[in-house]
Amino acid sequence: MKKEHKHVKSNKKYGMVIDLDKCTGCGACMVSCMAENNVPFKADESNKLDSITWMRVYKLTNDKPYPDTEICYLPRPCQHCEGQHEGHSPCVSVCPATATDYSMETGIVSQIYTRCFGCRYCMAACPYHARYFNWWDPVWPEGMEESLNPDVSVRMRGIVEKCSFCFHRYQRAMEKAHFEDRHELEENEYQTACTQACPSGAITFGDLNNESHAVYKLKKNPNAFRLLERLGTNPKIYYVSSREWVRLAGDNYRPDEKMTAKHKPAKHAPAKQH
Amino acid sequence: MDSALIPKGVKRCSIGQFALFMGFFGAIALWGVYAMLLCWLKGLNQTNMNDYYGFALWIWADLAVIALGGGAFFSGFLKYIVGKDELKNIINYAVLIGFICYSSALLILAIDIGQPLRGWFIFWHANVHSMLTEVAFCLSCYFGVLTIEYIPLILENRQADKVPFFHKLSHNMHENMAIFAATGAFLSFFHQGSLGGVSGVLFGRPFGYREGLFIWPWTFFLYTWSAAAYGPCFTVLVTKITEKVTGKKLVKDNVIELLLKISGWMLFTYIIAKIIDTWYWASVTAPAAGFSLIDFYSNNPFYGIWILLLEIVIGGIVPALILITEKGRKNKFAMALAIILAVIGVCINRWVMVLQVMAVPVMTFDSWVMYFPSWQEIATTILPVAYGVLLIGISYRYLPIFPQEIELNPIEEDTVADKDAEGDVVVGENLVEATEEG
Amino acid sequence: MKIDRRSFLSLGIGAGAGIALTPLPWKLADDSSIWTQMWPWTPVPARGEATYVNSACSLCPGSCGISVRKIDERAVKIEGMEGHPVNDGGVCPIGIAGLQLLYGQTRVKTPLKRVGKRGEGKWQKISWDEAISEVSSNLAELRKSGNPQSLACISGSGRYGTVSGLFQRFMTAFGSPNFMSVPSFVDGYSMALKQMHGIDSIPGFDFENSDFILSFGSGIIDGWGAPVRMFKANANMKGKIVQIEPRLSNTAAKADKWIPIKPGTEAALALGLAHVIIKKSLYNKDFISKHSFGFDDMTGTDGKKVKGFKSLVMEKYTPASVARITDTSAEMIEELAVSFAKASSPLAVCGRGKGTAQGSLDEYIAVHALNALLGRVNTKGGVWAVEQPNYISWPYPDMDKIAEKGFASARIDGAGTDEFPLAGQLAHRFVNAVADAGRKEIPVEALLIEGANPLHQFSDTKAVKKAFSKIKFIASFSSYMDDSAQFADIILPNHCYLERYEDIPAPAGLQKPVIGISRPVVAPKYNTLHSGDAIIRIAKALGDKIESSFSWDSYEACLQATFREAWSKLDSVGFLINQKYGAPGWDQFETESKLFEFISSADGAKTGRDKDEIVNIADIEGKGDKKYNLTLISYDSIRLASGSVGNTPFMIKAVADTILKENDIFVEINPKTAKDAGVKEGAKAVLTTPKGSANVRVHLFEGIVPGVIAMPRGLGHTGDDKYLSGKGVNVHDLIGPVEDPASGLDAAWGIRAKLAKA
Repeated sequence: MKKEHKHVKSNKKYGMVIDLDKCTGCGACMVSCMAENNVPFKADESNKLDSITWMRVYKLTNDKPYPDTEICYLPRPCQHCEGQHEGHSPCVSVCPATATDYSMETGIVSQIYTRCFGCRYCMAACPYHARYFNWWDPVWPEGMEESLNPDVSVRMRGIVEKCSFCFHRYQRAMEKAHFEDRHELEENEYQTACTQACPSGAITFGDLNNESHAVYKLKKNPNAFRLLERLGTNPKIYYVSSREWVRLAGDNYRPDEKMTAKHKPAKHAPAKQH
Repeated sequence: MDSALIPKGVKRCSIGQFALFMGFFGAIALWGVYAMLLCWLKGLNQTNMNDYYGFALWIWADLAVIALGGGAFFSGFLKYIVGKDELKNIINYAVLIGFICYSSALLILAIDIGQPLRGWFIFWHANVHSMLTEVAFCLSCYFGVLTIEYIPLILENRQADKVPFFHKLSHNMHENMAIFAATGAFLSFFHQGSLGGVSGVLFGRPFGYREGLFIWPWTFFLYTWSAAAYGPCFTVLVTKITEKVTGKKLVKDNVIELLLKISGWMLFTYIIAKIIDTWYWASVTAPAAGFSLIDFYSNNPFYGIWILLLEIVIGGIVPALILITEKGRKNKFAMALAIILAVIGVCINRWVMVLQVMAVPVMTFDSWVMYFPSWQEIATTILPVAYGVLLIGISYRYLPIFPQEIELNPIEEDTVADKDAEGDVVVGENLVEATEEG
Repeated sequence: MKIDRRSFLSLGIGAGAGIALTPLPWKLADDSSIWTQMWPWTPVPARGEATYVNSACSLCPGSCGISVRKIDERAVKIEGMEGHPVNDGGVCPIGIAGLQLLYGQTRVKTPLKRVGKRGEGKWQKISWDEAISEVSSNLAELRKSGNPQSLACISGSGRYGTVSGLFQRFMTAFGSPNFMSVPSFVDGYSMALKQMHGIDSIPGFDFENSDFILSFGSGIIDGWGAPVRMFKANANMKGKIVQIEPRLSNTAAKADKWIPIKPGTEAALALGLAHVIIKKSLYNKDFISKHSFGFDDMTGTDGKKVKGFKSLVMEKYTPASVARITDTSAEMIEELAVSFAKASSPLAVCGRGKGTAQGSLDEYIAVHALNALLGRVNTKGGVWAVEQPNYISWPYPDMDKIAEKGFASARIDGAGTDEFPLAGQLAHRFVNAVADAGRKEIPVEALLIEGANPLHQFSDTKAVKKAFSKIKFIASFSSYMDDSAQFADIILPNHCYLERYEDIPAPAGLQKPVIGISRPVVAPKYNTLHSGDAIIRIAKALGDKIESSFSWDSYEACLQATFREAWSKLDSVGFLINQKYGAPGWDQFETESKLFEFISSADGAKTGRDKDEIVNIADIEGKGDKKYNLTLISYDSIRLASGSVGNTPFMIKAVADTILKENDIFVEINPKTAKDAGVKEGAKAVLTTPKGSANVRVHLFEGIVPGVIAMPRGLGHTGDDKYLSGKGVNVHDLIGPVEDPASGLDAAWGIRAKLAKA
């Protein structure tokens, strides 16, 4: 491997490759994300339609009857869609107050909490349900505010929030790098909280444009796919699964095209036989 | 008591009856205001909206009232630009209905946003690429235009008109109304369109997404078109209801028929365009995202193919066919049916383009989510209706909204006086005189 | 000046226009937006210097190393400790959310004395001096009346560590043998190791070097053993994992193969596999011939013929009969046995779910025998009998006459008696002995609860509560107002685990001896006291010889003295590990025959075993009762903390809506079972077992054997905060213990049940 990599400045594209074969659905990513990002909690969080979980782990099944049932967990952070032309993600393009933005420097879709006025158009636009609204005032019972992370601002009622790829960690790493008179980050200097927490090592995070980063190679895995690619959202989260039914679950297929889905690898039997 | 404020030559119900009427709808409005305050003070947790339904009843109500209020810009366009002069006999009412619809829409938007105090960020930090920004700008501007169009009407009140300045102002405003009507039509073309664009640009939501021309999805044009087509139907419907309630004929049939004829042809052409759009979407756009039409209308407890038929056939083709035929327009029952179906049709269209867009699962492992509004949402949605009734009540009573009313309802002066005299007319007249002196 | 209407109007309009042109409205708009961005009730976390403190997590027996990020004196994030032998940087959700225990609403902030009725929640704040003297005076009474053995202690702190060591020492010096740890599968497995290897040891599993894991219901990635280590081992597994379990758990879902099986028949399947392996001569001949005893038939000293393991297995456990017992197929058994035996380093593991139930001895013996058959004991990639941590070398406590007499009396739970010679502790027997005792003969008068939550953790909570209500004096040392602390008479709150020192030896299931150290991350937030210090102070207050057995000034002094020169390394590195420790080898058997014993060479009566039966497993409760047509089993999820602490707010947030909806718990049933019971997805139902009934909702799940109901463990707390309390049902309310005839262990894995539409 070459020692000097061609880093085109401001051409980073941070993304993830999540190995669904490794993911056990333990939820460490979810909890780590909550703790890192000061996500609020309320007495009842069983209604998942109003429960803020920037990182949500979905449980997928192959819908086969006993005993051929299979399940697979799929962690879903914000997909940080790039859209068909740079930055034209479903949500960024619709926000009326420029409260969510696509960073050309990092490829991260940001959310400016103090500018969002809570119209929720971005939530309507996001097919991944990665955006969450603060329906309630966030309340930290007395004492519990002590564990709040000062790097992430606490949100207020009435605004939308979502996964930021732990952007504050990027800033922290960049500050350190600048202090040391560097302009580029090492791969391990900037990792998201979920990536760091995953006990199975299922999540790999890095610059998708950087040949020396692990994600660069991993995303080229023939079993890699992204969620709802056909919509043209161009997300930056890649998933890898050796199971065909899981890969097929990543996108919608009409009945007449199921058999010719592009993810159908020659080696594997069709989903039915699983 | 208030006879001095009532336009000359028309008969109005007693003040007691009027107060009862106003009191009833005022109470409903108060209920709505209470719910509104709850939403503002306690936040949107008062609603049944959730992270799957970021847009719900309110956005539907917004889209629907703006479509229904489309009668204002379109009849203005027809009268002042196209030159259909007969429409001057209904334009006042169309403007009033438009004013109500647009002010309601703005109010609902102010409740709907999570941070109302920051609502002005939409202007300050405007993202010009967002359909909602376009909506906000055009909506506010057009509301300004409607206000300008409504002001001369207010100034025509018998007492206001006595003030020379108001008299002249109103006269001058009337003179220049064509300019405002043109501005209004222009603005309306854009905001009706951008409201259509709201769901049409959502390329992450295959149910709402449409391809289009340059940056404008087809829904952009369909919305403008449908507002022009359906808006006048609503104007006529409200006029007819007003006639029923007051027990008087207020607008001549030829005016109504002219408006409905134009509306009918607009509807007819719109529904053809809508069918083509639906067909293209169902056979090209959605399948490209991996969806078959039936995916949007099955596996859920509510949204069946019936809703598509209801919108297009019952709420589109049927009223269009009735309204383009003279027989249909002249038949009272058929005409009433047509305008009711038309109003239902456009409301359904706006409903599916908001609510069904949210309901349809996009990720394969997601599921349909149903929604029923909370009472706070319902109350705040009824609030504009009550407010509209109140404003119509006041406007009808005190302003010469219907130019043909006197001609259509000739009365002898003394019977009016007699009726009023039964009440506390003396005090009332004294009051009026006192104020006049002051 | 006369103000007429016109001038009033123009004044108004003019004023309006004027104000609009001033900066006022713009300033107000700006202010309002700033105000909404900083609502006074929205907290703003203080900035400060960021540091990391290494410690160890003691929330489960996994004992991971953690690295806690601090901002000034606030702990803000728990991360996994890089380079730690257990978890090497990884961390589980329970561990991450630990700060919500430290700063949570459930902390007991000062010693409390009960003033209302038991469990009523009325407390009086008292000082530590008062608390210590309250406990010591109550305990002194017992010694005065000559009944020190009526003091019992339930300890949940890591076994073999100094905290449980101090409590155990206290009990000894006091004069009571009735010390208990929280039940675990290690109880059963260690017993099997004692019988088959002849040594007191703990099981260690060399997953990292195995290429075929055959798991008999162990929740490899559901929280079994040291969870993070297991997650890593699972993710890096090069070979195969086969999961035998009635429910498609996460482990089963991730395994290469899931073998659904009739619940409770795992031991039979293990022996069925042994049958095939023997028949096809696939066993390790070297190990069997040179290092084992009891494989072949033998002649006893009395001249009688005794059947060996081989004969027993060959006679009774043919694939066909095992298939019938287990509801599987003979072909599957043959196939599985062959592929397992032919793997280069296969390993069979057992201990259901998270391994929090004792289980039946015969099941451990059957699975361990399967390992032995292939020579997979004490070898690389196999199961090892790991030496028990023995770094505590305190002199034996000085005992006075009262203590000697009391300590010599039989344990209330019967462990170690002739009836159950191998058992170390039998919590369920303890509970029943107290619960069933007549008014005048209650064997326990005082109970110390340390690091445990028996009112939630023990099975048949109704019996536990009944037993506890008969005990005159209960002292809890809990940091949190949990189910059991709520029921105590006095609470002597321990520091939270992130505020204290504590040695944490023997991470569950680890094949290498590791000692971790929990170090104070932050200073104690409340008026709490380390339980080690508390027991030392109680001992000192009791005086006599008890005091002289506790000569340390403080717990920390005791801890440092215990580790001597190793202390500074332990404190700075965060753990001690014997890197050289490898597979013990086949010469490490201390049985009478000095061999691995399939069949005990010692007197059969001593082990309580019927020699003609290899597996003699008790039926679950309610069997044969026709009104119970279904079987209830509990299942474990890593997203549900089910040890001494329950879920924190973040954790409960991560619980799926198919497990908990508002306060309703879901039980999983096969759609077929649902159809028979006439219930639909999400429907409310009443679940009844011989132990009680509960309102539940049903979740239809294809991944479960028809006829089985699965309920998650860890919910149904009564103590704690609004984030956890009252949510769901504690499965231990519905399942009662079943005594294993061979060992006395609680062998319950389920109970018969019925489900009716609500």
